[in-house]
Amino acid sequence: MNQLKRDLNRSIRRVSIAVLILFLILLVNVNYLQAVEAPSLANGQLNDRTEYDQTQVQRGDIVTQDGVTIAGTKQVNGSLFKYQRTYSNGPAYAPVTGYDTIFTASQAPNYATGVEKAENSLLSGTGDQLAFRNFIDMITDKPQKGASVQVTINSKAQLAAYQGLQSTLAGKTINGVQQVGGVVALNPSTGAILAMASYPSYNPNALTVENTGTAGDLVTKLSGENPSPLINNATQTTLPPGSSFKIVTSSAWYGSSAANNPQTSVYSPQPLKLQNGNLLNNDNDEQCGNGSGHTPVITAFAQSCNTPFANIGALLGGPTINATAEKYGFNKALDIPGVTTAASSFVAEADPSLTALDAIGQHDTTETPLQEAMVAATVANNGVLMKPYLIDQVTASDLSVVEQTQPQELGQPISATVAGYEKQMMIAVVQDSDGTGFQFNQSALNGLEIAGKTGTAQNGQSAQPDAVFTAFAPADNPKIAVGVMIEGGGYGAAAAEPIAVAVIKAYLDATGQG
Amino acid sequence: MPSPALGSQPPEEAAVTRRSTELLMTVFGLAIVAFAFAATALSLKGQQPSKIIEYIVAYCVIIAGAHLAVRKFAPYADPLLLPIATLLNGLGLVMIYRLNQAGRNGNQGAPGVNGSPVPISTLGSSATTAQIIYTVLGVAIFVLFLWLIKDIKALQPYTYILGLAGLVLIALPALLPSSISGVADTSAKIQISIGQFSIQPEEFGKLLLAASFASYLVEHGQQLSLLTDRWMFINLPRRKDLAPIFVVWALSMLLLIFESDIGTSAVFMGLFVAMLYIATGRRSWAILGFVMFLVGALAAATLVSHVGQRFTVWLHPFSTANLVNGTQPSYQTAQGLYGMANGGLLGRGLGGGQPFWTPLVQSDLIFTAFGEELGLAGVMALLLLYGLFVQRGLRTALLAKDEYSKLLASGLAFMFALQVFVIVGGVTRVIPLTGITTPFLSQGGSSLVASWLLVAAIARMSDSARRPAPRPIQDEGMTQVVSLR
Repeated sequence: MNQLKRDLNRSIRRVSIAVLILFLILLVNVNYLQAVEAPSLANGQLNDRTEYDQTQVQRGDIVTQDGVTIAGTKQVNGSLFKYQRTYSNGPAYAPVTGYDTIFTASQAPNYATGVEKAENSLLSGTGDQLAFRNFIDMITDKPQKGASVQVTINSKAQLAAYQGLQSTLAGKTINGVQQVGGVVALNPSTGAILAMASYPSYNPNALTVENTGTAGDLVTKLSGENPSPLINNATQTTLPPGSSFKIVTSSAWYGSSAANNPQTSVYSPQPLKLQNGNLLNNDNDEQCGNGSGHTPVITAFAQSCNTPFANIGALLGGPTINATAEKYGFNKALDIPGVTTAASSFVAEADPSLTALDAIGQHDTTETPLQEAMVAATVANNGVLMKPYLIDQVTASDLSVVEQTQPQELGQPISATVAGYEKQMMIAVVQDSDGTGFQFNQSALNGLEIAGKTGTAQNGQSAQPDAVFTAFAPADNPKIAVGVMIEGGGYGAAAAEPIAVAVIKAYLDATGQG
Repeated sequence: MPSPALGSQPPEEAAVTRRSTELLMTVFGLAIVAFAFAATALSLKGQQPSKIIEYIVAYCVIIAGAHLAVRKFAPYADPLLLPIATLLNGLGLVMIYRLNQAGRNGNQGAPGVNGSPVPISTLGSSATTAQIIYTVLGVAIFVLFLWLIKDIKALQPYTYILGLAGLVLIALPALLPSSISGVADTSAKIQISIGQFSIQPEEFGKLLLAASFASYLVEHGQQLSLLTDRWMFINLPRRKDLAPIFVVWALSMLLLIFESDIGTSAVFMGLFVAMLYIATGRRSWAILGFVMFLVGALAAATLVSHVGQRFTVWLHPFSTANLVNGTQPSYQTAQGLYGMANGGLLGRGLGGGQPFWTPLVQSDLIFTAFGEELGLAGVMALLLLYGLFVQRGLRTALLAKDEYSKLLASGLAFMFALQVFVIVGGVTRVIPLTGITTPFLSQGGSSLVASWLLVAAIARMSDSARRPAPRPIQDEGMTQVVSLR
């Protein structure tokens, strides 16, 4: 009996060690789970916790440069969520704000777009930069609030741009498909995006609903539509630039010889026989200049003759024009926080007949409205191209600045001298009585001097060509550069120029610079 | 009170009842529970915070009764048993109270991802009151046990009656139609429902079987410790002694297949094997039992789909195929893990987390709710409390004066430890998740009452172990022992 009792104690001790090991396994495992694995689990596919937490904190506002709140929050009662996102003038600002559903990044890659996505961590108050402020708020029992984002947009310019697009494009279709259009306005000396409008647009308020099913279905529906309103036509849609590309072609030509200037006479036949035997005509087969077959380049530019620039293009060759185009930003999508961009395209063809077409913005040359505005801004800024940006600064709830964007130079596509030549030519387009931009808008200008270039491009889809206008103003001291593209809009001067002028006037009036 | 040095056991030490220590520790435990209630009520703003006073007072009264019963009926019982049970049961109450509400500000219900509304675990408003009533029942059983059973050896003669009763309790749900024994939304058949009321008889069956195994092994331990052939590196038991382990193994496999209750099956088999090892001191029994269960479980996993599913979920809890919607079993595991992760090191605070995303968080996965709201720190504390409780049980076994108590106390302590390992290991993905209750914490009466019964049994045995032996009569006044030449 005594012997057995000692044996029992020995095995009880061994069982105790086994139990100890079991508990050690549990302890080590919870440490691993909650200390090491936790961050990756927080992004789990069906983990709604972050999303829920986000709706308990008041999301930061998105405010325009002139102080208009375009994205705010409202408190909701009787729901699991405390705050709901609201957008004022949703469709007009949708390309800027984007939308923010209650999905989290890990659940759906398209949980948000635009500035909402780019600055999500600061808007939602979870960013590392806000950690210390959140801690202070917690100690002082202040409700946590996300940081607010100030965008470079001017509300007047933005609304003018959207209303212009809406009145021009509403209900207009090609083969039953809604026509699209986009407007971008830049501050030439900084690159700040003053307006960025797209048509057709959507109302982001419809996507902030609590029901993720509804929101998810709507995102799917919108992205499936043709054309999808979720696509920002101001920066993502490329259309043929038509004659507005002559700025780039002439830039390359001025750059090719120091002797070239606006008064230099260039070969301007009607029609031009291309190397492959095809004939190229001016618009309506009109003669260029005085019909002598030689015209000063400024006159050819103002009248938007095709043959001189097609000829220049064929002579310069694809690679030369391509080099200049790429300096302006072609063939490369810009990385702008809060903006999804597509690359404008210029293909350096070996065949001079194709290069001749490329040089007048036809064939496979395409541009975004953003690129149009960048070209005008470069000319306006003495040849220096500033990088476009949308997010100006981010301020925490205690009004301290968390992030501030500094204007950045992208490069110098053209010399100051060439920029001066281009400016002269662009002024001539709008100011000269025989300029393509003159006849329609002289009365509306009311003394304001605008420099611009029209574009009317065949798109191969409809009888109505695409309308393009790129401009800056005031011509002597540029404050704003605009690019407007309207699919199937007709003449650039008729469809695109009025919108550009409206945006320019709205901006200059609002900032007291008109 | 002078504290004797560790390890030495002078006769005086046994005379110290340590009831004041118990009282002090119990009050400390109650204070933690009260603070936890207050923290929850303040965090869940506006949700009847006045009611928590009633809950706190009720719980203090219940525990005071338990303490007085220990003073009266088991004065030498281990002083840590009641405080640990008090704290665990109290924290369970707090968590049930917290889970009454989904989130702050009285929010109820949430939209699900991908449109399908995910059921959020919220309890009826009476859940806390019901759990308090179960606590009253549990403590009443605890008091009754201490009062009625003065010596645990009173149970020793009933080897086969207890064993049979235990088996019937465990097997009953399998024999009944699943309309009575099925658990909603699961394939498990482990309860008996009559109207609103349901009990899980296996919780009590396990305790009866432990008592039965103990007396069986007191009788047959010597015989089972005889070994014969040496095979590979272990000495195998005699072939004719293998019958009992095969019977228990077969029963645990039946449990696995017919009740879909892997957890209980593992605890049941583990209990027997551990007691067999303690009784015989032969490692071969432990190895044999472990291998048998493993082989059986793996075979069941391949043959029985719902057992195999548990393994799939365990290995791939986050795979998209398993996570299609809220009804998938891995959704529960995944949400539990997300909850633990959300808690991090220090937790979200009581009422500050989102345990309501996890289906059945109030029963099987309540540990993850603690992980989310009290964090790693709180979870470690809970595990140490469990560990300490098991250690007191095993210490009682070491101190016990008779074989039966030794076997029963160590068996119960090991079973308790195994149950904690199976459920906590299950929700934290050490092993496949199997639905068994978390002792003292999970919502539900059967588990709570059975846990208090287990505390009572260990308290009774430790009282006997620590009670000083009756002194030989040496009073000179009455009788004088004179040595005669």
